[in-house]
Amino acid sequence: MLISFSLPQTILTNEELEKEYDSPSWTASKIFRKTGIKSRHIAKNELASDLAVEAGKKLFAEHGISPSEIDFLLLCTQSPDYYLPTTACIVQDRLGIPTSAGAFDYNLGCSGYIYGLATAKGLLAAGIAKNVLLITAETYTKHIHPLDRSTRTVFGDGASATLLREEDIVKIGQFVLVTDGKGAQNLIVPTGAMANPRTEETAKENEDANGNIRSMDNIYMNGPEIYAFTLRGVPDLIEKTLIKNNTTMDQIDYVILHQANKLVLESLREKLEIPADKYCIDVEDIGNTVSSTIPIALRRSIDRNIPQVKRGNKILLAGFGVGYSLGATIITI
Amino acid sequence: MTIEEKLDLIAETLDAERSNIKPETKLCTLDEWDSMGVISTIAMLDRKFKKVLSAEQIEKLDTVQDILDKMEE
Repeated sequence: MLISFSLPQTILTNEELEKEYDSPSWTASKIFRKTGIKSRHIAKNELASDLAVEAGKKLFAEHGISPSEIDFLLLCTQSPDYYLPTTACIVQDRLGIPTSAGAFDYNLGCSGYIYGLATAKGLLAAGIAKNVLLITAETYTKHIHPLDRSTRTVFGDGASATLLREEDIVKIGQFVLVTDGKGAQNLIVPTGAMANPRTEETAKENEDANGNIRSMDNIYMNGPEIYAFTLRGVPDLIEKTLIKNNTTMDQIDYVILHQANKLVLESLREKLEIPADKYCIDVEDIGNTVSSTIPIALRRSIDRNIPQVKRGNKILLAGFGVGYSLGATIITI
Repeated sequence: MTIEEKLDLIAETLDAERSNIKPETKLCTLDEWDSMGVISTIAMLDRKFKKVLSAEQIEKLDTVQDILDKMEE
């Protein structure tokens, strides 16, 4: 499988956040200590479709692929250009993918890449497509209130493009997928869709108990509950994935989990007892790009010539978060 | 672990002044009891006492004593 990625131009550093927040508890170094993040990219003027197109173009250029080869486009985003039409249709047109290709959006966050791999494997194995372009394109920062420190410090924007072909069917292992809608309210943009249309009322800003400011039109994340859910659910997810793939953690060469923030990743590494040299933590200059974290981390690990990520190695991938939605699989790169 | 050691650990976890951490201290009066503080507490309870709190249990944490009660070895 071939992977490329694209990050928007604007960079937001902890120093800039420190100036904005002007509070002793939110200095640049404290933000870094709490999250492991020093900077993140922000899509100021770019839409998800723009990032998607950029990532697609980079994939074509970097790997010598022509858009005419693509016969299916999957686009994962929770910040589409429109409710309708499907953003994937717009991206198909802009990338010059043939009209004989299929395309659709799917609405997932941190688990999105795993579900994309599952869907792509299905399309390929069923002979529905031969060259699937899987794009994740996320611009959560557009949902974030600037004075909501709980989310502004952790999320970044970014897109990835992965090309999956028939030869990749055997390289993608078995999946364990988990869905738990009980967690729906813990990571949510409450308004703007059918449940709660936007009004003057919903736009009113409120301060929460931690001094974070947001309106109902902004994203809300219950950090502690999401963290606890992750500690409860992810070890079990990974254990089931190893069993389903008839393997053990010893036989896995590298682990790339959804790159939420350093604290979560460290906690999980400890719980799962994975040695640091085969565990990916890559958030410092990019933050949490939601469905893009896993493919971007994978590509950057390859670029950095990390020994555990060489051709033929087994990589365990696991995404988890908004929904709640979780998924994991093992790939051979 | 003695109560004193547990209180030390709570102060360290929250990155708070040890003198501010007494069993009767109400958590909402601590600056450090923000979402990161809650998360750090969940992490500490999991790491040291093998307990991951449920959403309801997290909601119910009101005083330092409530955290102490969870720190059973």
